[in-house]
Amino acid sequence: MEGFTNLIVKIGRGVGGVVGTLYQAGRDSVDTVIRNVIPFMAFISFIIGLILTTGVGDWIAKGLKGSASSLPGLLLISIVCAIPILSPLLGPGAVIAQIVGTLLGVEIGKGNIPAQYSLPALFAINPQVGCDFIPVGLALGEAEPETVEIGVPAVLFSRVITGPLSVVIAYFASFGLYHTSK
Amino acid sequence: MFLSGLITLSAITVDKPTGFLGALATGAEDFIKVFNKGGSVLLSLMGGILPTLIVLLTAVNALVRIIGAERIENLGKAAARPGIQWYPVRYILLPFVAVFVLTNPMAYTMGRFLPERFKPAFYDSAVSFVHPILGIFPHANPGELFVYLGIATGIKELGFGLGDLAIRYLLVGLVVIFIRGIVTERITARMMAKAERSA
Repeated sequence: MEGFTNLIVKIGRGVGGVVGTLYQAGRDSVDTVIRNVIPFMAFISFIIGLILTTGVGDWIAKGLKGSASSLPGLLLISIVCAIPILSPLLGPGAVIAQIVGTLLGVEIGKGNIPAQYSLPALFAINPQVGCDFIPVGLALGEAEPETVEIGVPAVLFSRVITGPLSVVIAYFASFGLYHTSK
Repeated sequence: MFLSGLITLSAITVDKPTGFLGALATGAEDFIKVFNKGGSVLLSLMGGILPTLIVLLTAVNALVRIIGAERIENLGKAAARPGIQWYPVRYILLPFVAVFVLTNPMAYTMGRFLPERFKPAFYDSAVSFVHPILGIFPHANPGELFVYLGIATGIKELGFGLGDLAIRYLLVGLVVIFIRGIVTERITARMMAKAERSA
C-alpha cells in the first residue's frame, strides 16, 4: 500500500511538473506578445494607415522605387546603413530596419517593387544589425575590456565589407523567387 | 459620440458639403480615415499572425525549458577549438543553436566559452542571425518581428506564399553569418596584433 501511494505521488508530481512548465511557457509567450509585439504592431499599423490614405505613400514610392528595385540601388542603401558612424545610430531596437521594411512591404504589395527584390531588400535594410549593442553583447560573452575596445571597431569595419556583400549574395539567391512565367 | 456621428454621416448619401464648414467636414473625414485604415491593418495583423505566434512561442518556450539551456554548453566548448574544420561550428551551428534556444539577447552569452580573439566575430555572427531566423522561428526575436514581417506583409498582399522567402532568408542568413564571422575574426586578429606591437 505504501509503494502504491508513492507511485501515485510520483505520477502526480511528474504531471504537475509538465503542466506547470507548459503553463509557465504560455504565460511567458503572452507576456512577450503584450509587451513587445502588440505595441509595435499598433505603431506599424498607424504608419501603414498614414501611407495608404495620404499622399505620403506616393512620395515615398517615388524615392524608394528607384533605389529598391535595382541591385545598385539596394547596394547604395546597404552601404549607407553600414557606415561606421551611422550604423550604431541606426541600430537600436531595429526600429529603423522595421520601419523601412514596412515601407518597402507596402510598395511591394502595391506592385511598385518586384516581389523577387524582397530577399535582397531584407539584407539591404539591415547591415547595421546589432551595431548599437556590441559592448553589451561582448560583455554578455564575458569579454575582457581590451577585447571590447578592439571588438567594437572590428565589427563596425567588418560590416562595411559584409553588408554590401550580403546584398549581392541575397540578390543571386533570389533568382527564381516569385517567378512569373508570363 | 463624435466618431460614431462621423461614421453614420458618411454612410448616408447627401450632397457633398461646401464652403468653410464643408472643408472642415472633409478634413475631419480624411483625418479619421487614416486611423480607420490603421485600425483595419492592426486587426488583420492581430488576427492573422498573433494566434499562431502565441501558440508557437508557447511550444518553443516549453521545449527549451524541458531541454534545458545548459545542454548547449558543450557545443560552445567544441566551437572554441582552433582549426579550419571548427569554423562552420563556430559561425554557423553555434549562432543558430544559441539564437534558437537562448533567443535575443541571451544568445550572446555563449561567447563566454570562446577565447577572446573569437568573441567579436561570434557576436557579429550571432547578432546577424536574429532576423533571418524570424521567418520560420519568430520566437527567437519577437520584439523585432517587423524587419521580416514588414516586407513579408507586402508579399502576402500579392497573394504569394511566404515559405519560399522565409526559407531563403534563413539559408542566405546562414551563409552571411559564416562570412561575417570569418571576416570579423580576421579584422580582430589584425587589430589585436597591431595593439600588441604598439604596447
